This record gives sequence, C-alpha cells and structure tokens, in this order.
Amino acid sequence: MLLIADTLDSMAEDSEGAPDAPGRTSALGARDRARFEEEALGHAEQLYRVALRLSGSSQTAEDLVQEAYLRAFRAWRSFKPGTNLAAWLATILRNAYLDEARKQSRRPAQESLDEHGDYYLYNQLSQESREPQAAVVERLSSGAIVESLAAVPPVFREVVVLVDIGDFSYADAAEILGIPIGTVMSRLYRGRRLLKQALADRATNEASA
Amino acid sequence: MITDPCVGVEHLLQPYLDRALSEAEVRTVEQHLESCSYCNARYVFERELRATVRNCCCEEPAPPGLVERLRLRCCGQDG
Repeated sequence: MLLIADTLDSMAEDSEGAPDAPGRTSALGARDRARFEEEALGHAEQLYRVALRLSGSSQTAEDLVQEAYLRAFRAWRSFKPGTNLAAWLATILRNAYLDEARKQSRRPAQESLDEHGDYYLYNQLSQESREPQAAVVERLSSGAIVESLAAVPPVFREVVVLVDIGDFSYADAAEILGIPIGTVMSRLYRGRRLLKQALADRATNEASA
Repeated sequence: MITDPCVGVEHLLQPYLDRALSEAEVRTVEQHLESCSYCNARYVFERELRATVRNCCCEEPAPPGLVERLRLRCCGQDG
C-alpha cells in the first residue's frame, strides 16, 4: 500500500512546500494513527464534495479522495496540530487532482469565455419572466446546473468549488491554491459570473425548445 | 432606477453574501437594500440562486462506506 503511494508521490512536481512532499514511510505510532482516524477522516465528506465537482465523476472523486488520504496519512507527522486541517487535506487533494489531470494530459486549458456582469442571469430571465427565481428552478434541472458548473474553465471553477461547495473561506482557498486572497476573490467572482452565463444560455435554450 | 449607490452595492454583493465585508460595509449594503427595490430583487435572486446551485451540486452524497474504506486503506495494517 505504501509502495503505491510512493510511486504516485514522485509525480507531484508542483508540490513545493506542499504537505504531500514524500516523507519517511515509517509506520505511524498508535497515537498518531488514532489522531488521524479521529480528526482527518472526519473531513472525508467535505473533501468528496470538492473532489466530485473538480473531477465530475463519482468514481474519480473516490479515487482522488483515497489517494489524498494515503498521502495525508504518510505525511501526517508534518501536519502542525492547531493549524487548519481541512485546508491541509484539501491542498493534498488538489495536488492529487492536478497529478491525475496531468497523467491524463487533459490538463484543463485556461481558456476564457465571454463575460457578462454580475446580474446577467437575472437580467436575462427577467426579460421573459416575472419570477426569475422560479424560472431557474422550472427551467434548469439539477443535472443542468451541475453541467453548467462543469463548463466553467477549471482555473475559475476550482475556486467556486472550494468556496461555494466546499465551504472554505477566502483565506482557506488562498492557502489551498497557493495564491493571494485578492486573486481568490477575482477568480471566484469571475467564476460565478461565468456560471451564471452558462445557466442563462441553458435557460434560454430551454425556453425556446 | 439605477443610481450610483446601486453600482457600489453591486460590487459589494458577492462579498456580502460571502460574509466577507466589514461591519461598516455590511451596514452600507443593508441600508441600501432596504430602500432600493432594484437592488433588493437582485440580491434575493443571487442569494436564492446560490442556495439552488449548492443544493444541486451537493445532492449526490458521498458513497456509502467511504470513510470505512479510507480507514482500512490508510490505517488498516494494524486493524
């Protein structure tokens, strides 16, 4: 089991200073192990939500979460108690995701889309409907909403996923992604605008179908 | 009707919903929303949209037994 994790670790090229740097593979003591079980495993569902919306597939999401936990287990001694455990785990998860994407060489292009203002979706819907809120729910199935999020370019989507789906703060997201808070905010707002644009396109198609 | 304060509030609305504003900014936004139906309608829409997106994207629960499988894979050697 540890051998598999070793091979994968050697692929984590961009993990300078990240907590999944290969450490000693010597087994953890019973107390460390118990702490890992008690504290780290409690974040599994939160990490799974993030992994699912990063990868878009439940099988890949579980694989990513497993890989992240294996790396976290091996690096457990480098976690500083009292610091943000969820963000530490999410950093490892994201590195695992990037490694996987690189392996599949489908490293998401950072293409840009046309962009409209914050109220784009509202304005679109209110032209046709007196109840824009209701129009979202009526015209967009939850599958359509999930697909619209998946259509947002990854560099923006990952921030939206961390903050809006994973419940991480701006500061956590900055730590996880290794970028300044200002960049988190600009990518987050842009990502949400792109999501609204994708939703508006779908809602309009739905209305004309 | 769109006024200058409306433009300011549009910029503050996302961080307002994220609870990332200072107390003074929160007051500015809330006072404006109370008196401006243009912005208030958009605020309510943004708030509800966000909840809808979140619910849809978190609908699919983690697979049953996930935590147990993780425990076994990571800590399994000694039981």
